Amino acid sequence: MASTQLTVRRTFSPKEQEARLGWALVLPAVIVIGALVLYPIIYNVYLSFFDVSLSGNNVFTGFQNHVQVVTDGKFWSAVWTTVIYVVFSVLGTVIFGIVVAMVMNREFPLRWLVRSIILLPYVAPVIATVFAWQFFFDPVNGIFVHMAVEVLGVVQNRFNLIGNPSTAVIVAIVFSIWKNFPFAYLMILSRLQAIDETLYEAAELDGCSGWDKFRYVTLPELYFIIGSLVLLRVIWNFNKFEEVYLITENVQVLSIYTYLTAFTGAFDLGRGATLAVVQFGILVVFILYYVKRVLKW
Amino acid sequence: MVVRQRNIFRTTGFVLLLLFIIVFSLFPFVQMLSTSLKYPRDWGNPSLIPERINTGAYRELLGIGLPEPDMSSVPESVRNLLEESDLTPEQRERILADYIDTGDVFPFPRYFRNSLLLSAIAAFLSVFVAVFGAYSFSRLQYKGRGYVQRGVLLVYMFGGILLLIPLYKVAVQIGLLSTPTGTFIALLVVYMVQTLPVSLYMLGNYFRTIPFSIEEAALIDGLTRLQTIRRIIVPLSIGAIATVYIYSFMIAWNEYLFASVFLKSFKEIYTLPLGLRALFVSKNAIWDRIMSASMLTALPVIAMFMAVQKRLVGGLSAGGVKE
Repeated sequence: MASTQLTVRRTFSPKEQEARLGWALVLPAVIVIGALVLYPIIYNVYLSFFDVSLSGNNVFTGFQNHVQVVTDGKFWSAVWTTVIYVVFSVLGTVIFGIVVAMVMNREFPLRWLVRSIILLPYVAPVIATVFAWQFFFDPVNGIFVHMAVEVLGVVQNRFNLIGNPSTAVIVAIVFSIWKNFPFAYLMILSRLQAIDETLYEAAELDGCSGWDKFRYVTLPELYFIIGSLVLLRVIWNFNKFEEVYLITENVQVLSIYTYLTAFTGAFDLGRGATLAVVQFGILVVFILYYVKRVLKW
Repeated sequence: MVVRQRNIFRTTGFVLLLLFIIVFSLFPFVQMLSTSLKYPRDWGNPSLIPERINTGAYRELLGIGLPEPDMSSVPESVRNLLEESDLTPEQRERILADYIDTGDVFPFPRYFRNSLLLSAIAAFLSVFVAVFGAYSFSRLQYKGRGYVQRGVLLVYMFGGILLLIPLYKVAVQIGLLSTPTGTFIALLVVYMVQTLPVSLYMLGNYFRTIPFSIEEAALIDGLTRLQTIRRIIVPLSIGAIATVYIYSFMIAWNEYLFASVFLKSFKEIYTLPLGLRALFVSKNAIWDRIMSASMLTALPVIAMFMAVQKRLVGGLSAGGVKE
């Protein structure tokens, strides 16, 4: 019996077999990502239409959450803070990344060592580095205030840069640049090393100065890598939570505002879900615009 | 003359810039080390070199050379019970913990162990699932492969906050968050999925560099595809797998957002980021303790990074990252 059954079973062509195996091997990953990334996003959109309660039933409220969110002044101030944070942190990271990449592209003794130790800010855990920065800006013990007041005498009185909500964003931006410039530098350096030397030789023959060479050879060659870098950094910095929240809670960017709405005080998960959807919407609009205009895809 | 002067100018400028970059990158680490070794009265002293070395904070965190626990608060009967020799040290510790006020002692070793367990298992699961997925991406031809591959990359766009609320709601609903074990598993799965796209992408890129002819020979010898993965692909790319493992480990080790929401009610399974944060916001946040805890949290990650640095940097600049 068994042998006849075997012959009856449909045989697959090698191509079909390969396809079946391909799907089988990738299936666990697809299921996990589908269940824990795609499904939650859809569920999040669904939740945004409800007054969500953790224990009991959700109450359908239609667009009430959405209306409440966009008519709330706090939301717009969070949007504004986010824009400032993202613009300056991304600009700073990319510009500093270019400078560092140019420096690391030149020969100097122990370059291999320097190249690797300047990656440490990117590698070290956020939680392990925020306290050193807080100490640096600490009004009582910190070197920054000490320098500004005692040594340079630029300011008369000691001040609390992190504690003051209007200046804390500066600290968050500096921290973000410090944390992420190694990533920018790595991406730019790898492109820099691929630039054809003859382009520079040709520019020299045409009488270009150092700046001209940078302006007319290096920058155009780097255009697309910088374009992609800016896109990635905007996406990531826009969604950033830890790098802001752990250094100062005084900078209420959207992620922090959402977190505080959903998980503190009134524990308003529905409102939080709405905020997350709106935040994602803003990001998608930006990406579509950027990809079309800057990357010209 | 003019040319030489300009050269000196440029060289000096270059050296200054280089110094600035190095100082800017390393200063916070130096600050951390310095403050962790200072006595409280030296904190206001801006010098980075401590006048006298204070290793007290490290000893306290690691539980080295601590004074004997105060037994006076332990009832007589319990003390007698503890004398019995058939208790394991662990059990004895647990019983004692109920009676002795550990107060503001920061259980660093426990948080360290929690973080280690969570990151090690999550990274293992992520790499395990990714090996098969990446093999499928890099070696097998089938319809829809491109979509799956690009779909995986889309995950880059989603911030943690977008997934946090729905995942939390689901985890609460199915009752996972009501026990420490369930919470641990929930967090494990979240960390695994967060590192999975990177693992898939980096491993896929690596597998493509292994010549197919090696595998072909094995296939002709009668090995199945699964056997070739185990006997050929994995051994040949063990370095890359280790790198991806360490990268995933680092992401889990550093994670704060999900841990802060999921672990809220179970202090005993706090991870290091959560523990450090709790120590800092508690009133007894003392700079030397917080800095030495920072050092000890950063060290394993930095050591691991150094071990695979060359390969990881290649992967990073090829775009295989997720934040």
